Amino acid sequence: MPHILRNGPEWYAASGTETSKGTKTFSLVGKVRRTGLIEVPMGITLREVVFDIGGGTLKPFKAVQTGGPSGGCLSEEFLDTPIDYEHLAEAGSIMGSGGLIVIDADTCIVDTAKYFLGFTQKESCGKCVPCRVGTRHMVKLLEKICDGRGELADLDKLEKLGRTIKNSSLCGLGATAPNPALTSLKYFRSEFIAHVKDRRCPAVVCKNLVNYRVIPGKCTGCQRCVSVCPTGAITGPRSEPHNLDRTKCIKCRSCYEICRFDAIAGDAIVIES
Amino acid sequence: MARKEPRTLTMEIDHRTVTFPEGVTVHRAAELNGIDIPSLCSHKDLSPFGGCRLCMVEIEGMRGYPLSCSTVAEEGMKVLTDTATLRDLRREILKLILSEHPSSCLVCEEREACKDYQGTIRKAGVTTGCRFCPNDRQCELQDLVEKIGVTEIDFPIDYHGYDPEHDDPFYDRDYNVCILCGRCVRMCQEVRGTSVLAFTYRGPKAKIGPAFGRSHAEAGCEFCGACVDVCPTGALADKASKWEGKPDGSLVSTCPFCALGCQIELFHKNGRLTGARAFLDPEVNDGQLCVKGRFCMPEVTHHFERARRPMLQKGRYFREVSWEEALERAARELKDISPDDFVMLVSPDLSNESLFAAQKFARQCIGTNNIDSTARMELAGALELWSRLFSLPISIKDIARADTILAVGLDSRFNFSVVGTKVRKALASGAKLVTIDSRDSNLARYTDDWLAPHPGKEGAVLRIFAEALAGRKVDIRAAAEVGIDAEQLERSLAVMASGHELVVIIGPRVFHYSDGYASGDALVTLAGTQKTNIIPLYFGANSRGALELGVFSEVGPGGAETGQEGSGWAEVLSHSKRPKVLYCIGDVAFRERPDCDFLIFQDIYLPPFSVDVFLPAASFAETGGTLINIEGRVQEVVQVESLPEGAVTGFMRPDWKILADITKSLGSQALDYSSAADVRKDIAAAIPGFPAEADRRPRKMKPLGRLPAATAGAGELEDGNFWLVAEPGGYRHRGIDIASKVGGLCELALEEGFRMHPRDIEMLGLLDGDNVRMTWEGGRMGATVGVKADPECPRGAICFTKRLILGGVKVSPELRPLLGLRQNPIRVRIVRAEG
Repeated sequence: MPHILRNGPEWYAASGTETSKGTKTFSLVGKVRRTGLIEVPMGITLREVVFDIGGGTLKPFKAVQTGGPSGGCLSEEFLDTPIDYEHLAEAGSIMGSGGLIVIDADTCIVDTAKYFLGFTQKESCGKCVPCRVGTRHMVKLLEKICDGRGELADLDKLEKLGRTIKNSSLCGLGATAPNPALTSLKYFRSEFIAHVKDRRCPAVVCKNLVNYRVIPGKCTGCQRCVSVCPTGAITGPRSEPHNLDRTKCIKCRSCYEICRFDAIAGDAIVIES
Repeated sequence: MARKEPRTLTMEIDHRTVTFPEGVTVHRAAELNGIDIPSLCSHKDLSPFGGCRLCMVEIEGMRGYPLSCSTVAEEGMKVLTDTATLRDLRREILKLILSEHPSSCLVCEEREACKDYQGTIRKAGVTTGCRFCPNDRQCELQDLVEKIGVTEIDFPIDYHGYDPEHDDPFYDRDYNVCILCGRCVRMCQEVRGTSVLAFTYRGPKAKIGPAFGRSHAEAGCEFCGACVDVCPTGALADKASKWEGKPDGSLVSTCPFCALGCQIELFHKNGRLTGARAFLDPEVNDGQLCVKGRFCMPEVTHHFERARRPMLQKGRYFREVSWEEALERAARELKDISPDDFVMLVSPDLSNESLFAAQKFARQCIGTNNIDSTARMELAGALELWSRLFSLPISIKDIARADTILAVGLDSRFNFSVVGTKVRKALASGAKLVTIDSRDSNLARYTDDWLAPHPGKEGAVLRIFAEALAGRKVDIRAAAEVGIDAEQLERSLAVMASGHELVVIIGPRVFHYSDGYASGDALVTLAGTQKTNIIPLYFGANSRGALELGVFSEVGPGGAETGQEGSGWAEVLSHSKRPKVLYCIGDVAFRERPDCDFLIFQDIYLPPFSVDVFLPAASFAETGGTLINIEGRVQEVVQVESLPEGAVTGFMRPDWKILADITKSLGSQALDYSSAADVRKDIAAAIPGFPAEADRRPRKMKPLGRLPAATAGAGELEDGNFWLVAEPGGYRHRGIDIASKVGGLCELALEEGFRMHPRDIEMLGLLDGDNVRMTWEGGRMGATVGVKADPECPRGAICFTKRLILGGVKVSPELRPLLGLRQNPIRVRIVRAEG
């Protein structure tokens, strides 16, 4: 503000695009090397923000979620989209309060949609029917899909329900709550289909669809995982490949993470779907 | 205030050019032109809510799908109400509603067969579908499903699983079928002004109910039933008529339970009265009712104790007999009776026709002036005073227009709650309210100017106000004598003086104090000096009719003074005269059989004492008639039931008809009536100017001439530490207190027993429910009573409801002396009871 007052509105309008003038603050978080609050001129591309300013992702890039729980998940093809109100809306998302969440291959897009929709559902005031009842059904459908009980028809139900809620809700919460789900369905349909048809979670996140396994050939028996397993599912003496009891495994990822970062072997545990 | 007529504008709806008055919503504009846009949460009397989203339309130039219920119609708008997209959206939204609302019946393949054979009965305590919902075939949701065309619900069904709520009286709540349209909340808040209901919790857990989980009775619910009336589903349902099913039809009638005479819609099925709803009558009640009219009608008419056959005391037995035998026995006693040996008592709840017939019977058939009515006690003070009050232009409708209101001694929660609602309506439009009441009332919380004088001194304060408003000088120091702060009094006087449209509403209690006459007198003087709407409330639905038709020894038809004396209630209660024959029509102000040789009793229920002849009268639903309300309107009570006489229905007859039959048996032509219309003709002939038909126009009475002796003020200050205040109350209807027949009223039982302020009980070293010994008249009279804590009771007082009509009410013998007290309030001495 002081700068605008000192330098005048034309100076501020000099940056930015034709229709979205000036700069915008964003909160860049997620799976990028450098996270934080940034202020950039409107019109800057997503690619510049994620890879230049953010330093790119460790794992393969999957999507950018803009606008928080009311926004949409934009896939790789949108990386060259200029960030301004119009382009984001065209893509099916919103600017919102400036949240930019970077998602990589390790994040399940269905799970992300379910998470955001769960949030908006809880925050719903309950006055209008589409938001109060409709978002609850959407959450239930997504839970069904993540649980491995989904059917192909559920995807169409989600889309139809989402459109109904968008068109008939009383306020912005309801009108934008389906956005994460609808954009994910649009740009990442294959991931949904994998959940529904193959009962498989490509990002190996959805608990009911994954299994953990120790690769005997790679395990050195360092016992790092044994010490962190909360249920005692992994057992085995020192210097011998460990055993993973699936019936006790709660899929908390502790063993996987510690093997990756702190164990001698580094890749002895895999999560498969 | 004259209102400008709204301009007429034009718009296009569905490619049709239509006109509408400026300022209405698109939904209303469509409705006025015969286009029905579906909606569930909108209601023409309530503000727009926008929750159901069904009324969406497409408006050229507006993005998205705006709601027709909350969009103001404008000149030149182009609206489409029925496109394919809209139809699709509405279907989806309706499916969403149904996924939460037990309604599988709507889409079950067996529903047609089930209607007839009920093949899928479930014994669950919760409604599981339309067939088991009290609103089946009377449900707006059901109608919409049919209209919009939902054939399957492809969302998983997930009912809320609430327990149905049966705890509060009069209506049940099953929030499993509630669709959260908010109509009940808005009705209670905007139209009634009581705000008992609200949206509690939030989001998917949202539920309707009083705040903080209180019960309805605790939250101040007046049980007016307005919420039940507007509920589009079966979530709120009358307990009494819940399972009667869809009524066959309805008739508009007048409520017979109090002097306001609200217009009411009575429903019937298979020829029997099933329930009642408010009728939207702008003249009197404007679509509102009170607990009595709304909920009590079916039970009062159909209670199993209803006496349906004539009965005779035959030797040791009291038996059912035929009409011929009963009439013959009555005639035998009345034939050749000396006129002075006969006394007639009639209830002020009777119709005009019955009252007129009764006085004509006494005067012309028997030839006596010994006729009286408890209307005399209800119109407390003096009959002549009330004739003067009734000569004023009283208007219930105009309460809502007032800009300054003075309410004296009025608690309108159950009795006269329509008046209370109108007061709140006026307040919502910016009116100012001053209340004068020694006890806390339901209206006191709406004002900063609640003057609380000593118990029994409301009349004195009212007189100060009347003097001030009439332009006379007032001694402010008089305020201290009655326990009011002088500054507060001055402020309140200024508030009242600043108004242009004044209304003064006086509750019955004020007239029942010993200085009631003086208060009434002051009101008449006030009315004479300033245009004020004065509303003196009283019990007895047709007390004004009793006065105008002349059922008193000194007052005849048309308020004509007979110039004669006669025996009546005073003599009966004091046992100073023992009539040979006492003919009592539903007027039961005594607990035990009155002193007489032969008692003829005519009413809808048997009295609590023995009688010689009992003649069963038809109640208000079983026969027509007219009543005169407080404003002087002659209004019609419509006959709803015309089932043939027989073992099941009974053998009741209208009161005037019974009198006509007896008259014929006595060989007189005085009461030659074969229909109520005949009686009305006779009334019109006897009273010049009396409306020939129930035209409902407000009228003014011609005041009686004679001035009685002034009555003494509240008793000389006897020794005592408390004031004993008798408050008129109870729910009288003819010879019974309807609380004895209607379970819900018993549950409310708010005014039972002797009540004291909790701090006073504490001060006496007692607990709520303990006994106290109360003595008066220097210790000569006394009674031991249990006291109940009542935070609304004034300090320094012990209050009790002095019921006038005791049918169905049990009064312990020890309390009898209290019923005959002459002064009110009186000074008593209260100490802890021994033992």
